Amino acid sequence: MSEQVWIAGGDVICGTGLNLAACLDAFEKMQPGMGAMQHLRSAHANTFPVAEVKAGNDELAAMAGMPAHWSRTALLSMIAAQAAWNSTGLGAVSNYRVGLVSANTVGGMDKTEHFMETYLQDTATGRLREVVHHECGSITELVADALGVRHHVSTISTACSSGANALMYGARMIRAGMLDAVIAGGTDALTRFTLNGFNTLMILDQQKCRPFDDTRTGLNLGEGAGYVVLVSDRLAEQTTAWCRLSGFANANDAYHQTASSPEGTGNFIAMQGALNMAGVQPADIGYINLHGTGTQNNDSSEGLAIVRLFNGHYPPVSSTKSFTGHTLGASGGIEAVFSAYALRHGIIYPNAQFTTPMKELPFAPVTTFSRGNALRHVMSNSFGFGGNCSSLVFSE
Amino acid sequence: MSNTSAHITASCIIRGNTVVKNGVRVYEAPPDVTLPEFLRGLYDRYSGQYPKFHKMDLLSKLGWAAAEILLQEVPMEHYAPEDTGVILANTSSSLDTDERYAETMKEIASPALFVYTLPNIVIGEISIRHTFKGENAFFVADAFDIPFITGYVQQLLNEGTLQAAVCGWVEQYHSGYDAALYLVEKKPRNGSLPFTANEAEKLYR
Repeated sequence: MSEQVWIAGGDVICGTGLNLAACLDAFEKMQPGMGAMQHLRSAHANTFPVAEVKAGNDELAAMAGMPAHWSRTALLSMIAAQAAWNSTGLGAVSNYRVGLVSANTVGGMDKTEHFMETYLQDTATGRLREVVHHECGSITELVADALGVRHHVSTISTACSSGANALMYGARMIRAGMLDAVIAGGTDALTRFTLNGFNTLMILDQQKCRPFDDTRTGLNLGEGAGYVVLVSDRLAEQTTAWCRLSGFANANDAYHQTASSPEGTGNFIAMQGALNMAGVQPADIGYINLHGTGTQNNDSSEGLAIVRLFNGHYPPVSSTKSFTGHTLGASGGIEAVFSAYALRHGIIYPNAQFTTPMKELPFAPVTTFSRGNALRHVMSNSFGFGGNCSSLVFSE
Repeated sequence: MSNTSAHITASCIIRGNTVVKNGVRVYEAPPDVTLPEFLRGLYDRYSGQYPKFHKMDLLSKLGWAAAEILLQEVPMEHYAPEDTGVILANTSSSLDTDERYAETMKEIASPALFVYTLPNIVIGEISIRHTFKGENAFFVADAFDIPFITGYVQQLLNEGTLQAAVCGWVEQYHSGYDAALYLVEKKPRNGSLPFTANEAEKLYR
């Protein structure tokens, strides 16, 4: 059993940078990662900007130490998960009971799409090695094997809250004394499947996305991976932990197949539940890393839930998706790394592309990067399709 | 593990423009009434006041209407939402809507249809309407395998995963359709039957 769950380290790879340090630099210089597609091939290449990881599959494969014919989802996962583990200074994975809880929503769809191009022309063609890792769990297993994780492997796929739910699952296993450390977070590569699906829902912005802005018209898709390393009290003594994962909650408002309820009922319940578990009041939260996708529905629901819960005491808030795009299954993991690191180093991230406050909200996101903030508790929100809402609280 | 005692406390079969509730024919429309018209008729007769019905695809309308009729005059408020679930199956998945959606992709892909291009959306519609938040599953199979569905639900009741379940078959493709829903509970109600594959089969045939 472990009383507390500690964040011993973490790292990311996304459209904003190939690691956390590069992302911090991009935040400080106000350089969002969205642009025209360089790697994804799509009929919409000139219509929708995306936040791609700035490296081809060969380069990523070399970084990951994996073959380039494996899914980009696995390559991104391996790079961030290995870097996250290395950041803890704990040494060999084999010295501990380590689990990998990794979220994703597309699995090996990028390779499946490539396979189908030739297969649809001639069903005698196509290499089956491109489809064997199609399934979401297969990606996690490739990465677990490469990391040498033997004690527990699990995949979570609950749309946009997947990554946050991976942290919750990992934290519960540590509290229960089942594992010493859990590499928890998520990964997703850009695919035509997701781009076309979000385009059908008519929630993609043709400009850079504008979260929590009155002029917002949708999200930009991104890709990447982000993992924290959760450890028990005993292991935390051997390392310099960033902070604790003190509270978390998941709620479903069961309102619609894709949309949140207009008043953000599930969002409110998730944030309130995370605060309750952490044993803190709304006024104790020093910064909220918003889900903030830039869609009409999300930002309005999330904003109104914050108004109801924080009731006048609004902490600084921002959506780092204004830099990284929406990385779907990876977003909860990437933003957990940003949030935990922010708490440790007193950083508040800016919200890019912001011009116009939302009419229905009495607060607006922060637009400048700052260090040296006295942060004691930081909240990270991840609200998924189907009203699958999760909120995490990190505490010093 | 021995089986928890369970009962079919209500049933609703909809086929051939006829509704049979708890073994009794309760509604019939002339054979020339089309499926959309028939379902609209069920909505007007048994519900109304749920405008979201009109946005649904035919599969969801069929399952939703069958659940509406099944659960009328059956109070479910004493259950915690997490203790009630929905287990369904059919053979055509959401293919009817998939085809309609694919048709729209030639011009502008329809977001309204896209939402319904999964068979388990009908479970979502029933769950949202009746505040069911427990276990759910949708199986696609060649035919209504009654022993499989009853066995699956019995196991959920045995394990304590669910206290009550709406289960059965909701099939629709083009003009063809067939729905059979059962309410299964641990406590009997007036006129309930033992929850066995045999009893479910008798109600279905």
